[in-house]
Amino acid sequence: MEKVIIIRYCEIHLKGKNRGYFEKVFMNNLEKSLSGIRHEIRKPSGRYVVENFDEARTDEIVARLQKVFGTHTLSIAYKVPATMDDIFAAVLAVAPEAGSFKVQANRADKHFPLNSMQINAEVGGRLLEARPALRVDVHAPQHLIGIDVRENGDALVFCGWIKAAGGMPVGTSGKGMLLLSGGIDSPVAGHMIAKRGMTIEALHFHSYPYTNRQAREKVEELAHILAGYTGGLDLHVVSVTHIQEAIHKYCPAEMMITLLRRFMMRIAERLCRQTGAQCIVTGESLGQVASQTIEGMTSSGSVVHELPILRPLVGFDKTEIVERAREIGTFETSILPYEDCCTVFLPKHPLIRPDLAKVAEQEKKLDVEALVAEAFASAELVEIHR
Amino acid sequence: MIYLDNAATTAPDAAAVSAALAFYGQKFHNPSSLYGAGFEAHRAVQDARRSLLAHIAPAGGFELVFTASGSEADNQAIFSSVRRGNFVTTAGEHAAVYQSAKELERRGIEVRYARLHADGSVDGEDLLRLVDEHTSLVSVIHVNNETGAVNDIAALSAAVKKKNAKALFHSDGVQAFGKIPFSLPQSVDLYTVSAHKIGGVRGAAALIRKKGVPLHPLIFGGGQENGLRSGTENTFAIVQFAAAAEKKFSSLGRDLEHVRALNSAVRTGLDTGIFTILSAEDASPYIVSVAAKGLRGEVLLHMLDDAGVQVGTGSACSSKNRYSRVMLACGLGEALADGVLRISFCAQNTAEEAAEAVAIINRCAAQLKERTK
Repeated sequence: MEKVIIIRYCEIHLKGKNRGYFEKVFMNNLEKSLSGIRHEIRKPSGRYVVENFDEARTDEIVARLQKVFGTHTLSIAYKVPATMDDIFAAVLAVAPEAGSFKVQANRADKHFPLNSMQINAEVGGRLLEARPALRVDVHAPQHLIGIDVRENGDALVFCGWIKAAGGMPVGTSGKGMLLLSGGIDSPVAGHMIAKRGMTIEALHFHSYPYTNRQAREKVEELAHILAGYTGGLDLHVVSVTHIQEAIHKYCPAEMMITLLRRFMMRIAERLCRQTGAQCIVTGESLGQVASQTIEGMTSSGSVVHELPILRPLVGFDKTEIVERAREIGTFETSILPYEDCCTVFLPKHPLIRPDLAKVAEQEKKLDVEALVAEAFASAELVEIHR
Repeated sequence: MIYLDNAATTAPDAAAVSAALAFYGQKFHNPSSLYGAGFEAHRAVQDARRSLLAHIAPAGGFELVFTASGSEADNQAIFSSVRRGNFVTTAGEHAAVYQSAKELERRGIEVRYARLHADGSVDGEDLLRLVDEHTSLVSVIHVNNETGAVNDIAALSAAVKKKNAKALFHSDGVQAFGKIPFSLPQSVDLYTVSAHKIGGVRGAAALIRKKGVPLHPLIFGGGQENGLRSGTENTFAIVQFAAAAEKKFSSLGRDLEHVRALNSAVRTGLDTGIFTILSAEDASPYIVSVAAKGLRGEVLLHMLDDAGVQVGTGSACSSKNRYSRVMLACGLGEALADGVLRISFCAQNTAEEAAEAVAIINRCAAQLKERTK
């Protein structure tokens, strides 16, 4: 009995004429996720099947596939010749010893002598005989045993479905530039956008020597976790030290964050132009902190002229964001206590509702273009591999 | 690069590494093995043990248990000795003792912390006041790792024994061993030393105990170190430790004078408009802690690193553990505690390095002050 992994995909089946394109990207992403592990991916109708892999690495393969956006569910199955005896041998291998079960057969090969209902009845009956501690429950079974009789003379037998990342294949929805801090929110925002099929690059701002190497390492670690979902990620690291020092020197303390965020947006837009990213993605959530009021977003957004700013978390509560961060595995890293925007320059009372005219007035004291250009020139590219 | 963070770790002594390298080569054998080569490895460990003991307890009466780190030795001393009663220690201990004390508290043991003087040395009267007939262990750091303050371990241990003869006395001597002249008095029961602060490599340290003092293992297994510390001996690190210590002790007085001059150059050279010297004049000359009011230590540290000077700090760009617990216990306010730098020397540092470092530290601090004012 050969072990295989069945991959079922999400919304691709909704696509019409460009379905082939989505499937191709998805296949590429699946292949990439398993790089370094011996395997073959085949695509019989309506699903993908991983075969010829090292069975000792099954858990690792499943964990990797689970993260590939576009994957709806997975099942670890046995591939056997489509005869009732072979199928039943596989059922015995996957079925539990006790509890309730239901058999759900699917017959693509219409030449198979039994129809789906008959397979269910036959296999269910034999299983009850072989495992007396099992009972049938067709409404809410504890264990669902799946049998796919395929057209090529094989059958796939499995027990249970493993939930996967869902969403759309990364690479099918354009490219975005994620502003990645070391906090809880931005990785979640990146994950949500990538889940909708967008390729993401990330931009991190640091203010060394006011922030430390550990803070940057933490951001690289977060990018690495995201890369597990996206298949790899370009992380751009930009120093805003001189911008912060200039704001500190020439502008009112309470405007530090307001002005800094405008600089960050300008740098992000410029980087988008350079990399071909089509939007800026942030982890802002309405009202969460002083800079994330609608006035704050207006102020920072007003310097971006040609690109949309996507804020997927805008309507989320902190608890909801934390829950997602835990699910995607970024929370533990995000809460490491390193500062990402040093408190040396943080005002006690930042401006909550910045007035655009006043902000622009203060900004005139700074050589915005030169500061942006200098920061932009400091950009380092870190290629984060999955 | 000028390395002035020798209290964190020292560069391994190259000659000592060479002398021990065979234990990573043809003398790789397990000291517990019964054939000749194993026995040779065992002999090397025993020689190292005798040699190390001779430096710190020349009159005899002490034994030495090799451990993998000073932290492990501290843990073993504390968890072995405090089974009941109370544990008296100070607010100025290294984290290995402090966090062990916190763990004891979680297990329901009463821990009493003696106050510190402003220089980081323990208030001896307060320490003695805390000792009573139920005290099972007293642990006092020998040389404070943040300020260099030297506690008079001989006097303190004698006074503790006078008040409670049954109480055991432990001292973490990691920053003292091989640096300041000291021989273990009979009133000290347990004493921690470590290799990598004196040119040894990491992976070797020891808990020294007075003969007859009860000691229990932390690690159980093959019964190495007379059953007190199981685990196959790190022969390379142990032999290298002994060789490095041999060298340190042979030049201890000379090194002390040299380092004293470096220390003095830093103390007198730093800009008094920016820096306050925290370490007392009679502190170990190997460590001088200073504070730059209004500047953050770690930011200054980064600037110094870029300018070619490596030092330690007592504060961090972290929302947790921002200030040094020990500095706050010395009575330092947050504004000063935020700007602490620890400059620590080794005998290999030169007067030129010290002078250059002082100039760089002054320059960077002035720059930072200007940039953040």
